[in-house]
Amino acid sequence: MTQAGLYTLAASALAGIGVYGLLARRHLLRRILAVNLLGNAVFLLLVAFARRQPGYVDPVPHAMVLTGIVVAVSATAFALALARRYYAETGLDHLPEDEG
Amino acid sequence: MAELGALSLPLAFFLPLLTALAAFLLGARQAPWLAGIGALATVAAVADAVRRVAAHGPQAYHLGGWAPPLGVELYADGLAALMLAMTAAVALAVTAYAGAYLHGQGQAAERFWPLWLVQWAALNGTFLSADLFNLYVMLELVTLTAVPLVAMAGDRASLGAAMRYLLLALIASLAYLLGVALLYGGTGTLHLREVGELAGAGGPTAVAAALVTAGLLLKAAIFPLHAWLAPAHSSAPAPASAALSALVAQAGVYLVLRLWLWAFPALLSPVVGWGLGGLGAASVLYGSLQALRQSRLKPVIAYSTVAQLGYPLLLLPLAAVPAAASQAWQGAAYFIVAHGLAKAGAFLAAGNVYYSLGHDRLAGLRGLAPELSASVLALGLAWVSLMGLPPTAGFLAKWQLLSGALAGGQWPWAVVVVLGGLLAAGYGFRVLATAHAAAPPGGPVGRPARRLPWRMAATPLLLALAVYLLGVSAVPALRLLGQGAPEALG
Amino acid sequence: MGLAFDLLLAGGLLGLALQVVASRGLFRSVVLFIALGLLMALAWARLAAPDLALAEAAIGAGLTGALLLSAYRALQPAEEAADPGPAALPRWGALAAAVLSGALVAALGWAALGLEAPAASAGREALARLGESGVKSPLTGVLLGFRAIDTLAEVVVLLVAFLGARVVAEPLQRAGPGPSAPGSGEPVLTAPLLRLVVPMGVIVAGYLLWSGGHQPGGAFQAGAVLAALGVLLRLTGRLQPAAATSPAERLALVGGIVLFSAIGLAGAGTASAVLAYPEAWAYPLILAIETGLAVAIALPLTLLFSGSAGLRWRER
Repeated sequence: MTQAGLYTLAASALAGIGVYGLLARRHLLRRILAVNLLGNAVFLLLVAFARRQPGYVDPVPHAMVLTGIVVAVSATAFALALARRYYAETGLDHLPEDEG
Repeated sequence: MAELGALSLPLAFFLPLLTALAAFLLGARQAPWLAGIGALATVAAVADAVRRVAAHGPQAYHLGGWAPPLGVELYADGLAALMLAMTAAVALAVTAYAGAYLHGQGQAAERFWPLWLVQWAALNGTFLSADLFNLYVMLELVTLTAVPLVAMAGDRASLGAAMRYLLLALIASLAYLLGVALLYGGTGTLHLREVGELAGAGGPTAVAAALVTAGLLLKAAIFPLHAWLAPAHSSAPAPASAALSALVAQAGVYLVLRLWLWAFPALLSPVVGWGLGGLGAASVLYGSLQALRQSRLKPVIAYSTVAQLGYPLLLLPLAAVPAAASQAWQGAAYFIVAHGLAKAGAFLAAGNVYYSLGHDRLAGLRGLAPELSASVLALGLAWVSLMGLPPTAGFLAKWQLLSGALAGGQWPWAVVVVLGGLLAAGYGFRVLATAHAAAPPGGPVGRPARRLPWRMAATPLLLALAVYLLGVSAVPALRLLGQGAPEALG
Repeated sequence: MGLAFDLLLAGGLLGLALQVVASRGLFRSVVLFIALGLLMALAWARLAAPDLALAEAAIGAGLTGALLLSAYRALQPAEEAADPGPAALPRWGALAAAVLSGALVAALGWAALGLEAPAASAGREALARLGESGVKSPLTGVLLGFRAIDTLAEVVVLLVAFLGARVVAEPLQRAGPGPSAPGSGEPVLTAPLLRLVVPMGVIVAGYLLWSGGHQPGGAFQAGAVLAALGVLLRLTGRLQPAAATSPAERLALVGGIVLFSAIGLAGAGTASAVLAYPEAWAYPLILAIETGLAVAIALPLTLLFSGSAGLRWRER
């Protein structure tokens, strides 16, 4: 197996772990962590794709990842602000319909 | 050398963006008139783009002068031009309405204007961009402007609705991006039509298409991924509700059609088409039934959005049937336009009820027709189009879908269209009958607490009238739609 | 040998990710997520993406981690209730979640490995035509040349996140990392260290910015370093949260985007198209845009960490 192939597989598994975290945990902070795991999986996949051919690094996936990182931190920062306000207003650390 | 003529394409993105920045820089006091000027300038750019598409066919603009796959292309065909024009009409109404609605609410206004104007820019970007990754960034921009608008009331219900909307929208974006990563990995390009030529119909493309579609269906609140929409859209302030239902959610539906018809046509087998059409049909029926069960006005309208977002998907099973394709295509595209205008009108009219009474409980609307006559009229007029009765744009759209389904021999979709219309009549008349009912003994339950500014009374009426205009004269819009339509649909 | 290290690294990533999801303690999950970010940076360095590794370590692990930790503190109930963990899920629910994520892993892994690298790609064309972009670093060429619109939209995303966070803002005393420790309790070395670190940070940011044209670095990394400085100053109380955004802050928040848009739109007249640069001016224009971008990245991030509309300097 090549290096890129190995990380491609790791990215797929990481995406699965992220989705499992989204489905299985309901604490808002954990959901936000899981979204970030999923994001990291996409980025890893792109970085691995960029390195598939010997002697050549594709700059386009790299640019996508750098843009993606800034978008991810923006979304995370806003999500955390919203979660904090929601908690301050309701005392809940999860969404009510998710109670089971 | 890119043609300078199509400059109106990038301007449709840059003008609202720069207006948003100026509104933020100068603060709430200057924002309304700045927004007005920016809105008019954007409408002018959109009008120029539409005129060019109508006269000369599809317009492409290579940003930075770099042709795809190297650079990002803005591309306006008839469908995109129609979306831009509908968005401009709704956005103009929202801008005019919000100026009066938010008057005197310093902080809310200060926060609304930059978010709303960036949203407009990002929506135009979404309709114009022919680049799958650029679309991802635009979609995130739309999401991150939409969620704060939902949360603006700051109470328990709206914060919860915003939180759920945000989490689901972020997951949706990442599912989409995962699919785009696979597409680039397989084709080496991010350009919509190049992907369509290169991706083929292999297994990996199918996985990518599934991920992209799942993400977009979630953004478009298609059954069974619809649960977030109604609480979110009914929590927002009225002008934002109008923008969210008429524009933001519909941008998701638009992208589903755009991607399946331009990037994955090779994958659109009868089974896939029936599957996606089935989801659309389920949305129509489920959303309508839920709308019947609501006890407040804004949730009724929001669930009707879930229902109406399903119709355009009925195009997908019909697109490959030569006898049905052309009519179904016109019906689906016209449906998005009709729904956008009517739904924005309905939400703004509901906003007037809320503004005057301080609530929107159906039980409290008895006997209010005289006080809010213009708004109730607007609501009723818009509803005629949502039901699909003549002489509205909604009727024409459904008629085309219906004829397409029958011509293609796929009668189940025709049943869905008719049934959806009947159900819409059901929940629509329930609202209107209450508003026109005799006041309960002792006068109306709640007398209007506030006088309605004329701008707020007029805006929903104008939107509703536009739906009739497009119902009477459809030829220009349908001719525009023909520009650059896929051959099978033309 | 090399592959063995990669195997170990990939295994470590997945092990950490599992722990992040499954661990009982929320604090543990947050810390492990930060560790995962650092490991991810290492993996990217192995995959010939040192510039991305730098950004991931600074933004993905560092700043995101700081935000997560301060949110964790804010979401603590008075007495900590035990987090029920995934066991709280009904068994069929856990099973369904596992099946669904397993299916995703299988489909994604199969699809991603099955894809053959295309002979021609946007990336190859970018490398071949890099000379026309006016910079020497392929990444900067793509970000500020070929795909400049993405970069522009992305800093707007950051601004919008800040505006959105204002809508849901908490009262100032509860916002961000919370009130800073009173000045008297500050460790002795804090002040002299800050006097050393802050100018160094600014110099590093400046260097990263300037070097971005021809080697790894650039606006993002410089912005991240500046944001880290902002976080440091906010944590040590040099920067105090303020209830209003000052005119100067407003200008700094939108300045980078306005400059980028203005240069971009001017391209329709001075060069071939919107977001094109006149050939002779490409490098200085890109440098100017990057400087604006570094501020447009650093300031919203610092404000988002601070949880306030603005920041005011306070001497000690």
